[in-house]
Amino acid sequence: MANYSVSVSEVFHALADPTRCAIVSSLGYGAQTVTALAAPFDMALPSFMKHLTVLERSGLIRTSKLGRTRTCELVPETLSRAEKWIAGQRAMWEARSDRMVEFVERLHQQEQPHVTKRRRKD
Amino acid sequence: MSQNAGEKTDPRDLVISRVLRAPREALWRAWSEPELLKQWWCPRPWTTDVRAFDLRPGGAFHTFMQGPDGGTSDNPGSFLEVVPQSRLVFTSMLTAGWRPNTPWLGFTAIITMTDEGDGCRYVAQVMHPDIASCEQHEKLGFFDGWNTAITQLEESATAPR
Repeated sequence: MANYSVSVSEVFHALADPTRCAIVSSLGYGAQTVTALAAPFDMALPSFMKHLTVLERSGLIRTSKLGRTRTCELVPETLSRAEKWIAGQRAMWEARSDRMVEFVERLHQQEQPHVTKRRRKD
Repeated sequence: MSQNAGEKTDPRDLVISRVLRAPREALWRAWSEPELLKQWWCPRPWTTDVRAFDLRPGGAFHTFMQGPDGGTSDNPGSFLEVVPQSRLVFTSMLTAGWRPNTPWLGFTAIITMTDEGDGCRYVAQVMHPDIASCEQHEKLGFFDGWNTAITQLEESATAPR
């Protein structure tokens, strides 16, 4: 079953690998069997399964077995939580950088009265 | 200076870049003088108290932010690298004298300043470590408050850009 106590760091670790990123993107289009999912990757199946294990442990995907067929699907809640966290950090730094730019440009103008006069009427 | 062209960045990292119509000297002042830094460090109505500012590798960099609703954010840390007018590296993972720290929000920030045209370019690379501990803070609603503060700021400021 899905692991709800997964840490955000595991999610980022899982996504830091290009193959695993590609798997997640691929599953964004819907659930797929392991065979279908592995097909585009030039990789031995055991290696591919290791990536799936990392993804499953992180809570990004879940797998289920029906007969001999294993199917993978995305757990969208996990991705959005990690994205939300980093988005919050980005928002903070973007806003901070905007305030800094405004502040520095104002500081520079105050220190250069002649330049200010040439560029602006007030 | 195009950054990371083709290079994949770690999903835990942020890279923020701005071009300023001001020289690097002014940009450096805004970062190296605490009296100036506190004026833009956090969004109003939050205020920043610079509790320690020892601008040298291993020197303390400690900010304390306070919000109108009683919310606070205590951020001790230290500088790792200081190259006047070109590079500033600081972290929350170590405090003064390289003492290991377990912060609520782990990060290392690399600020670079380069000349560009009549002004300069500012690039901030912010790297995050194992961020499991942040979840606790998230549960406490810190980010909700923080994001509300940012939204309020953005709404009140129709910044021409």
